[in-house]
Amino acid sequence: MANFDMSAHVRRINRQDRIATAVLVGIAAFVMLMLAAIVIYILVAGAPKLFDLNFLTGKPQQFKEGGGIGPELFNSFYLLILTLLISVPLSLGAAIFLSQYAPDNAATAVAKTAIETLSSLPSVVVGLFGFLFFVLYMGWGFSIIAGAVALTMFNIPILVRVIQQALEDVPRSQRDAGLAMGLTRWETTIHVLLPAAMPAIVTGVVLSAGRVFGEAAALIFTAGQSAPVLDFTCLDFSSPSCPWNVFRPAETLAVHIWKINSEGVVPDLTAISNGTAAVLMVCILAFNILARVIGKYLERRLTSE
Amino acid sequence: MVGACAPRAGSGRPDGGTLLSTRDLTVCYENNEALHPTSLDFAAGQVTALIGPSGCGKSTFLRCLNLMNREIPKCKIGGEVLYHGRNINTRKENLFELRKSIGMVFQQPTPFRKSIRDNILFAPKRHGLVSGKEDCDALVEQSLRAGALWDEVRDKLDESAYALSGGQQQRLCIARTLAMHPDVVLFDEPCSALDPISTFTVEETIRSIAESGICAIIVTHNMEQATRVSDNTTFFYVGDMVETGPTKRLFSQPQDKRLQDYLTGRFG
Repeated sequence: MANFDMSAHVRRINRQDRIATAVLVGIAAFVMLMLAAIVIYILVAGAPKLFDLNFLTGKPQQFKEGGGIGPELFNSFYLLILTLLISVPLSLGAAIFLSQYAPDNAATAVAKTAIETLSSLPSVVVGLFGFLFFVLYMGWGFSIIAGAVALTMFNIPILVRVIQQALEDVPRSQRDAGLAMGLTRWETTIHVLLPAAMPAIVTGVVLSAGRVFGEAAALIFTAGQSAPVLDFTCLDFSSPSCPWNVFRPAETLAVHIWKINSEGVVPDLTAISNGTAAVLMVCILAFNILARVIGKYLERRLTSE
Repeated sequence: MVGACAPRAGSGRPDGGTLLSTRDLTVCYENNEALHPTSLDFAAGQVTALIGPSGCGKSTFLRCLNLMNREIPKCKIGGEVLYHGRNINTRKENLFELRKSIGMVFQQPTPFRKSIRDNILFAPKRHGLVSGKEDCDALVEQSLRAGALWDEVRDKLDESAYALSGGQQQRLCIARTLAMHPDVVLFDEPCSALDPISTFTVEETIRSIAESGICAIIVTHNMEQATRVSDNTTFFYVGDMVETGPTKRLFSQPQDKRLQDYLTGRFG
């Protein structure tokens, strides 16, 4: 009796296991297939432009065929780097404070709730706020700096959460061990917790960078929709054609796609839009791979593994 | 290790050997007194075992001796902890200097995610105890020898400490603590995550560091371990320090009913 029950039970759980595995594999395969289809579609549609040097470096056209995306490509990277330069140190500081120093009181709870709320703020709201405050009130006009600060506001809540989580995932015993050796909290955080949390932090920064790179809504109202022709020999930082001038307007790749599709009048707008999308995707892919390589290198250096 | 038996016979040392003592030490979590007033003395060169069932306050007591309980929110330490005759349970006490000379080894091995060499050198460097490559190399070798790990890792000092086995990691943590030349080392159930062979090695290490003149205090739930490593034993029960004395006497002629019950396995 007992034996019979046992084998029936084993057969049943084996069957359940097989069904569950099949369902999960099916779901995963469906998601992968969708993703692969999108990626392949974008790459194939954009392929003619993707390897066209004139397209990658040329200036955009208002009415004629054959416009390029040179300034937009540069603007996207410049804006991303500026945004990360501002947002990563701020988020790191905030996350360290919240996870290691903040007393467990009402003010901290309010700060944490505020961060959670901000992280789900629609980017168009961030863009409109940036337009009112940075562009108009501060008088910066449509500019890279206004865009970078708006993207920082959009990026910080997510980075803070990711970094805070990464720091809290390091076992408490590591922190205790550091403190028990007479190290300060700061030394323990910087030399023990941060290296241990580094892979998760790098992943978080990369993911947020991808979001920033592909962001359009927040930039339409802050960094603007015009891309002045850039002159890389120009070092006059007040000139709109100086690439490094942070007070010039700067259309990015994602904004370019939006603009061409909504108000473009060039005859080859579909080709340009497809090409830009492909370039945008390849850039994000390249950026992710690069960041992972750097992350691995950092990890090896810090942990000698 | 055999020679250790002679001084282990009793705690008949003069009071001059007392390095660390507590006077009416209490610990409160919020309004709950987890440790009732406890006064104990610990001498240099001896191993003291703190035993008792789970939740009896032995770990809580141990974590007061280097004021680690201060890191827990809403935890209050009352009474006095005298270290070299000076009360350290004051707001003015420099915790960073204090924990340099009162080391601690935890229940789980806690190596840092660094190389073996950096695990040893990290804290001494931050405290400015070593500088220069030769000093560092000497300290690494000396500490790892004291932690009985040198022969196993001498060829892979620059490899990650995470690649070591659990027992090796725990001995690395002991070596790392010894690298700061403490005169007191606190062990919080150091062997509970280890297999019997690693446990034996760690126990030998604890004996040998006590013989080098360090005051070792070990929390353990394992009574055999207490009889193997300690000179003196203290029994805690539900926040009370019940009985203390030379290990042999305590286990052969327990005075208190609660200790008798614990030793015969009636609870715990």
